[in-house]
Amino acid sequence: MLVFQSIILGLLLGGLYALLASGLTLYFGIMRVVMIAHSAFLILAAYLAWWIHDRAGIDPLLSMVVTVPLFFAAGVVLQRLLLTRLRPATLTMMSVLLTFAIALAIEGLLGYAFTGTQRRIQLGYSSASFELFGARIAVVKLIAFVLAAVALSGLYVVMKRTRFGWALRATIQHRDAARLLGIDTERVAGYGFGLGLATAAVGGTALSLDTTIYPSLHWHWIGPLMAIIVVGGLGSVPGAAAAAMVLGMAQSLLQIPMGTTWAQTVFYVALFATLAFRPQGFFGGRLAQRF
Amino acid sequence: MPKKSRSKAAALSAALILTVGTAACSGDDQGGGDKSSDPITVGISLPLTGDFSEPGKGVQEGYEAWAKVVNDKGGLLGRQVELKILDDQSNADRVVADYEQLIGKDQVDLVVGPFSTRLVVPSARVAEEYDMLFVEPAGAAKEVFEQGFKNLFYAAPAVANDHYNHLAEHILALPADQRPKTAAYAAMDDPFAQGTAYGLKEKLEAGGIKTVVNEVYPPNTTDFSGIAAKVASAKADILVGGSQYQDGVNLIVALQQLGYQPKLAAFSTAPTTPEFAKAIGNKTTGILSPTGYSQDAPYESNKEFVEKFKAQFGKAPEEDQANGYTTGQVVAAAVTAAGCAEQGECQKKLVDWLHSNKVDTVVGPLSWDQTGKPQGAHMIQQWVDNDIKIVLPADVKEADFVYPKPAW
Repeated sequence: MLVFQSIILGLLLGGLYALLASGLTLYFGIMRVVMIAHSAFLILAAYLAWWIHDRAGIDPLLSMVVTVPLFFAAGVVLQRLLLTRLRPATLTMMSVLLTFAIALAIEGLLGYAFTGTQRRIQLGYSSASFELFGARIAVVKLIAFVLAAVALSGLYVVMKRTRFGWALRATIQHRDAARLLGIDTERVAGYGFGLGLATAAVGGTALSLDTTIYPSLHWHWIGPLMAIIVVGGLGSVPGAAAAAMVLGMAQSLLQIPMGTTWAQTVFYVALFATLAFRPQGFFGGRLAQRF
Repeated sequence: MPKKSRSKAAALSAALILTVGTAACSGDDQGGGDKSSDPITVGISLPLTGDFSEPGKGVQEGYEAWAKVVNDKGGLLGRQVELKILDDQSNADRVVADYEQLIGKDQVDLVVGPFSTRLVVPSARVAEEYDMLFVEPAGAAKEVFEQGFKNLFYAAPAVANDHYNHLAEHILALPADQRPKTAAYAAMDDPFAQGTAYGLKEKLEAGGIKTVVNEVYPPNTTDFSGIAAKVASAKADILVGGSQYQDGVNLIVALQQLGYQPKLAAFSTAPTTPEFAKAIGNKTTGILSPTGYSQDAPYESNKEFVEKFKAQFGKAPEEDQANGYTTGQVVAAAVTAAGCAEQGECQKKLVDWLHSNKVDTVVGPLSWDQTGKPQGAHMIQQWVDNDIKIVLPADVKEADFVYPKPAW
């Protein structure tokens, strides 16, 4: 009974993790950028969803109409104006510093604009749930899961079925070769970064449905998300999704015998194991060797 | 608090330090002035910047309110009270240097404590070295009372482990057929939050109430559904949360989602915060919380405090402010009774008097054991009709205890 409930919760949690981590792995794939600020953007999107709901009474899901294009544009601008200026030789390392600064800036601005008071979106269906074979499924968690599924399938279709997706994947696989084939890798990288940040807009909205948010919350997220993309294989979106599901489920199930504190370490144990035995990740992606 | 007023407060406190500082200096110049008309200087180091700046400023307001109330009534022993406040930047080394300076160089007549356990312990050590009375507004962790301090007094009703004492008594006094049989505990891995929950756990276990879930979660926990699933599947009669804020709210919502309905739910800190009701969808009725201070508490000096504080600062006092004020009240009571306020012999008299007497304060009557640990318990508040009211102990209650708790 508890086990079944935990499996359901693990599934829902894994889906959320997959959505939140997808952008992070994309940046690394496209540009070898370690984007520390990804979780800060998630919280920013969550705040915008909360703010729009609080001010206009609009359902937070509708806030994505504004935040997704906004974040996409911000991603393109960020990549074109800041990240391309980093020297390729030290890009990965310097990107940590740069995006760390961006994370701090976002946290500070959130604190300035919305104060440190902890916020939570209160919806009519916030605590609603239904029963499935004896386990309870919370409506908000299901919505977040569906959101993750839709966003990730959308991302998959874009990557596999569109010219832009092919160009993006070519850029991920071999930038120089892609350029020889006539792909404007700079522009593609910009849009790719925008796409990553757009997933943060969706992820942040999903997060806002069932979380109490505050400006410094992003620090609690970046660690597990980084672990997920390494385990999944840096640069691989399906890999990150698979790793997220496995780790989310593992966390949820391990919580029963081990308690919350130890269950959380599953991310870091998985991270160490990956780096020690299979640095390229367990679910595809060949980029980690160069990391 | 909006940014604007925060910087205003910082500027104000800086100005205060300056003016008070010069006043103290000019006092030095006069040298052998008439002692009995000199102001009584009270030395304080507070974290006005850094990690603890929010509560630090709150305590500062409490001290300032106390000094004003005392001075408006003609001072202590006919002498005006002057505060000399230094900023320790939330830094344990700074706090030691600050108290050395206040006692040694500035020759203040009295010292009172800073904020947070981390700063209370080192500063209490300095006060102990100089044989100064040390009443402190914030140092509820049990470590404070295990250092062998003889001059220390914690100016609050109870340490963390005793917060729920009134509730424990009440539960154990219920008739056998109503008394809960099982309990679930979920506490943040934090000495204060966990201390509150475990204090109650100890007493209920001793009273025969079985612990069916005992979860400790780290402060960075983002997902509470797993803990909620454990609690819900154990179907515990009562639930006790050693929470701060967001963890308490997240856990309650996760439990609501799982359809768990306890007969009693008690959480530390979270339910007393202004955003709480809205955050959990106003399904608050019956939720309990211990509180060290309530603006509505019917203690004699409290009415005056709330009124004067509002006039001075334009807002109602919270617990931090009340703690600062209480500290002042305790010192004032000792000074009045001993009839002196200066370094040396007098400090011993003050300490002895406090060890053997009870002091009436805005948080109720306080008394201490030999380690300076207060002997009381916190009031228990409960959400009734969309408002949080005192329900225990019975002599100060504003509403009747609701049990079992209505569904949330």
